[in-house]
Amino acid sequence: MIETLLFAGCALCAIAGALGAALVKNLFHAALLLGLALVGTAGLYLFLEAQWLACVQVVVYVGGILVLILFATLFSTDILGAVQRAPWSVRMAGWLGAVLAGGVAWRLVQVVLAEARHLDRTRSAPGVADPLTTSGGAAAGNVLLSSWFVPFLATGLLLTVALVAAVATVQRFRRPANGGSEAIRG
Amino acid sequence: MAEFGPSSLASYLIVAGILFAAGVLAIATRRNAIGVLIGLELMFNAAALQFTAYGRFRAGAPDPQGQIAAVFVVVAAAAEAAVALALLFAVYRTSKDVDLEATRELRS
Repeated sequence: MIETLLFAGCALCAIAGALGAALVKNLFHAALLLGLALVGTAGLYLFLEAQWLACVQVVVYVGGILVLILFATLFSTDILGAVQRAPWSVRMAGWLGAVLAGGVAWRLVQVVLAEARHLDRTRSAPGVADPLTTSGGAAAGNVLLSSWFVPFLATGLLLTVALVAAVATVQRFRRPANGGSEAIRG
Repeated sequence: MAEFGPSSLASYLIVAGILFAAGVLAIATRRNAIGVLIGLELMFNAAALQFTAYGRFRAGAPDPQGQIAAVFVVVAAAAEAAVALALLFAVYRTSKDVDLEATRELRS
């Protein structure tokens, strides 16, 4: 019972945070609500016996990416969303996007509900398998360093390339040292 | 219909579906590049949650490969955020704003 309540709390955090992040006008609040959604998802990972993944979620997503996004809101001149009234075409595109997202959500929930009985029949019985060898951090680490070793190294390469590319992109637009206000032309 | 709770796969999938739809909504309706980035992160997050849920509820025994796939999703999201913010910085330097409707070019 208490487990179901905790699960419902995490799911509610994730859903409310996600909807808030998509709908709230204030960008800073939207970024904070994204953090709520990410923490709620980390809670769901705990229920899926993926404790290590929950830690990664909090450290990398909430600690790294979210802080970057909050920092990036400083670049926006329109954080509060008090825009000059958007033109007609843009508002129509917004409504179209809302209808699209509603359709996606409706279809996903419909498919899940239609398949729910089948999914429950095939689910593995909790507690049957040895938790240390088939789930949790130890098993994930073993798989990561055996059959997924090459992709694991490739992600290291990907991160290095992405960081170097990010630094190179920003360097091109650095101000000149003599205090001129114009960006260096690339 | 399956009961809602931590031991039913359907409840995880419904949460992931709503997260994904919220991401689509943010990407389709936001004019600001940071809002679009937030929507992207939501969609990444929904995908990672689905990977983990399917791995946990795999027929037979739980499969840790779902978690591994989710970790790769997190890494991809981190790389994407770094590059996207560098591009935002470049756009901000040339046009003083990150409004996607008003941005026409990267070169100043």
